[in-house]
Amino acid sequence: MAEDLVLDTAIRDWVLIPLSVVMVLIGVLRYFVSKLMRSSQTPDLKIVKEGQVIVRARNLRAAANFIPLKAFRARKAYFTNEENGLLHVPKGQAASNPQAQMFSDPNMAMDMMKKNLSMIIPQTLTFAWVNFFFSGFVAAKIPFPLTQRFRSMLQNGIDLSTVDVSYVSSRSWYFLNLFGLRGLFSLILGEENATDDTQRMMQMSGFGFDPSKSLGAEKDGLDIIQHDWAMPKFEQRAEAVLRKLVS
Amino acid sequence: MAGHDDSSVSEKKSNDISDLPTFNVENMQSNMKVIYYSRTFMSIIGGVIAGVLGFTSLMGFIFYFLVMAITSVGLAAKAGFSVHSYFDSWNRIILDGFLGGLMSFVLFWTFAYDMVHIF
Repeated sequence: MAEDLVLDTAIRDWVLIPLSVVMVLIGVLRYFVSKLMRSSQTPDLKIVKEGQVIVRARNLRAAANFIPLKAFRARKAYFTNEENGLLHVPKGQAASNPQAQMFSDPNMAMDMMKKNLSMIIPQTLTFAWVNFFFSGFVAAKIPFPLTQRFRSMLQNGIDLSTVDVSYVSSRSWYFLNLFGLRGLFSLILGEENATDDTQRMMQMSGFGFDPSKSLGAEKDGLDIIQHDWAMPKFEQRAEAVLRKLVS
Repeated sequence: MAGHDDSSVSEKKSNDISDLPTFNVENMQSNMKVIYYSRTFMSIIGGVIAGVLGFTSLMGFIFYFLVMAITSVGLAAKAGFSVHSYFDSWNRIILDGFLGGLMSFVLFWTFAYDMVHIF
């Protein structure tokens, strides 16, 4: 049943292109607005200290094989010593820290709300606008066929059931734009842009619980590492490299 | 265009005799970003080409895989075919960012196809 509908040129001019242009512009606008609205958070000293300790421990783990055994052990004891080692967090303090801090810190809560809002509001508004103005007609033809199950999803305003599923309404054009323009935004706006919702959610969930759990994780990681000093073998490696260069 | 074919693939140290994988995290991340940008850009261009040429359904998806394969080969060639000194595994060059580019490809494919064929 692949009859070829002839669609009005005016649809191209007044629906597809404006919708795409509007979505791109709204994305750019949202990026700049979120940049302006980002409140300068004075970071908490304790959190920064803990973060730096974690980074140092991680570096130690990664480069453990480049320092002699004694030096490695000394550093490891500095970190994992039971009484005053940096990574050892007393049990009572660990549990209460992250939760309390996240929810009673007004700054962080406001930031999360702002980010949420700046994501949701433009999407909702645009969706409502699309529904109001651009419903009830065929907007585009997607170049690949889909099964009948997608019909209700893609052909929302169109009430004929014999039209090919490839002919979709403008609502589905909106969703197609929503997902497809993410790549374009990452090219135009540089790396950090606020339009990828899945990335945002991952960031938000991993934010407040960083301190105590990862301290314990780093401590375990340091504990289990096996030290194998690689320096003695480096002379042979240098010899091999030089040999390759010379020959 | 910002980020198009950003040809600064940075070298990271790697050991070949003793098998200690040492790599510089920042360089790795910057390399991954280069891959991501390249793939996104190629999938957008590929989408426009597929739409203009009038590919439909299966042909279009085959074209997408073809474009991704060309991107992989291009990236490998840029890295001088010594993949292990720039990334930690072959999978990075070949498979990373595959599905992310798919949505952009479909969008621009649909757009170009409609512009040209149903105008």
